[in-house]
Amino acid sequence: MASKQMLRYLFRRFLFLFVTYVVATTVVFLLPRVIPGNPLSQLLSNLSMVAQANPEAIRAAERALMEEFGLGKPWYVQYVEFISKALRGDLGTSITFYPRKVLDLIVPVLPWTLVLLLPATLVAWILGNTLGAQAAYRRNTWVDKGVLTTSLVVSQIPYYWLGMIFIFLFGVRLKLLPTQGAYSQGVIPSLTFSFFVDVLRHYILPFLSIVVSAMGGWAIGMRLMVIYELGSDYVLFSETLGVSDKRIFKYVFRNSLLPQITGLALSLGSILGGALITEIVFNYPGTGYLLFRALTTLDYPMIQGIFVILIASVYLANFLVDFIYAVIDPRIRIGQEA
Amino acid sequence: MVEPLLKVEGVRAYYKLGRVFVRAVDGVSFEVNEGEVLGVVGESGCGKSTLSNVLMMNLRKPLVLVEGRVLFKMGNGFLEISSLGREEVKKRLWGKEMAVIPQSAMNALMPTIKVRKYVEHLAESHNIPKEEILEKIRIRFQEVGLDPVWLERYPFEFSGGMRQRAVIAIATLLNPQLLIADEPTSALDVVNQKIFLKVLMQMKKRGIVKSIVFITHDIATLRQMADRMVVMYAGKVVEVSPLEEMLRKPLHPYTKGLLDSVLTPEPEVKDRGITTIPGAPPNLIDPPTGCRFHPRCTYAMKVCREKEPALVEVEKGRKVACFLFTEEIA
Repeated sequence: MASKQMLRYLFRRFLFLFVTYVVATTVVFLLPRVIPGNPLSQLLSNLSMVAQANPEAIRAAERALMEEFGLGKPWYVQYVEFISKALRGDLGTSITFYPRKVLDLIVPVLPWTLVLLLPATLVAWILGNTLGAQAAYRRNTWVDKGVLTTSLVVSQIPYYWLGMIFIFLFGVRLKLLPTQGAYSQGVIPSLTFSFFVDVLRHYILPFLSIVVSAMGGWAIGMRLMVIYELGSDYVLFSETLGVSDKRIFKYVFRNSLLPQITGLALSLGSILGGALITEIVFNYPGTGYLLFRALTTLDYPMIQGIFVILIASVYLANFLVDFIYAVIDPRIRIGQEA
Repeated sequence: MVEPLLKVEGVRAYYKLGRVFVRAVDGVSFEVNEGEVLGVVGESGCGKSTLSNVLMMNLRKPLVLVEGRVLFKMGNGFLEISSLGREEVKKRLWGKEMAVIPQSAMNALMPTIKVRKYVEHLAESHNIPKEEILEKIRIRFQEVGLDPVWLERYPFEFSGGMRQRAVIAIATLLNPQLLIADEPTSALDVVNQKIFLKVLMQMKKRGIVKSIVFITHDIATLRQMADRMVVMYAGKVVEVSPLEEMLRKPLHPYTKGLLDSVLTPEPEVKDRGITTIPGAPPNLIDPPTGCRFHPRCTYAMKVCREKEPALVEVEKGRKVACFLFTEEIA
């Protein structure tokens, strides 16, 4: 009986996700097409330079490309083609990087984005929550005031500005760290120690700019949660029973962390989209940077491709949150069994 | 010979809010004797819950002790707990010598761990071996009518009445001498109230706790269990009296008003009908001059507006703060 109910629950959940997924991909399909501009213009102007500007040849090339990308067909035909191809794992051919496949372009940049954003998101989460909890626990002391003020200021700083300040300070002024890229130009990626050090030196600034700007938000949220929990009945009762402060703090930390885990899972789900502006500022070869290139050149298949993957990962994270929550919070786990 | 277990001497405890003070407990003196159930009664907003915090010296900003002493019997002498810091009192007395059954026992247990785990943590904080305390909680659970298998459950799986009983079992686990129950029954239905009060009285009968301070606005509950009563109004004690005598002949007009507003099926109440005390308790930032009850008192005289009546013993064991009884003495 229970498994039958569980299956029905899962089925409903999947159906819901499927419908919203279709809606989301439709929006992603339509939106770039509403932006005025011709996606082929850049490709054609490159071509015209090579082909010595023979108008006939260029017009022929345009027709051929229209055919190739299916841009001449009505939008609904294009849409059906896009969906049916995507379901088969074919995200099409990039216009900007013609004739390379979209998937072949995205796959090599994914590791760079993951390596940058996964640790940065986790570190920001851990540091932010720890600081926020400490601040709440020492409420109205200088620790609290320091953490709160810094968090408020830092979380309001635009992170690209923070990135630029870092570049200016550590890269240009102090000349301590490189200012752009994921590794030095001209170096061929290899599994050597010197390449590792090179990557690490390029890694520090974008990593720090993300950690610092994301940390403040977590700290503010956690501080509020802990303050709320500290006033709750179980804390007051535990105190009057003489339960040690250390233990009570553990209780409060644990219970305050539950909603923060949802937030973490959701931000982890969206990291495949890259840190768009951070990657632009640091010229870092991640998905964000790729998306930026695709958007500026109206590379429809590339924009669609990135979003299809991004939306899928966000949904996957959403789906996982339900399960993680059930594991860590007995109120939900046992409530569902009953 | 009755011996006091806890003595409150001239205590003033105020909430300091910016420049103003909320005089929640304002010059209160009384004793909790060994082996008695002391009822503390009064309307909401009379300083009852503040008083329960004062008894434990559980003072947190903005609540501060302005004046007075609280003494607790330890061994042969009295320990002046009001001269110790909150941390010190917590370490030496809370849980072991005095414990609280809180106003909202419904949510008093740590929600995301099993009850057994919570009890183990309690043992750890008091440096008691785990096995010893687990053995004890199993017996205590049975005493309050809970199957020990519930120790392996989470608090949210308990019903309201069960949670309340689990809270009693845990609060009395270390055999505290004094148990302070702060409006513990207000969230329960009548059947569970009855069970709860029975369990509470058993704790005293078995000698697990020596004395109980029962704080409530519900006189009907108190008359089932209290030995003596303390009546509070606007941060002051207006009457202290053995229960039976107070019920038979309330002295202070406020006490009389409280008793008259209680719904009980007794014939004399039926004849008399239910009356209420007009008005509401005053603002404790700026309480009325003289007797604080005078704006609502039907017997108010000129002197009541000008002078504050002292709490004076008018009969053996009965004290009242009212010029109707003390004018000639004063």
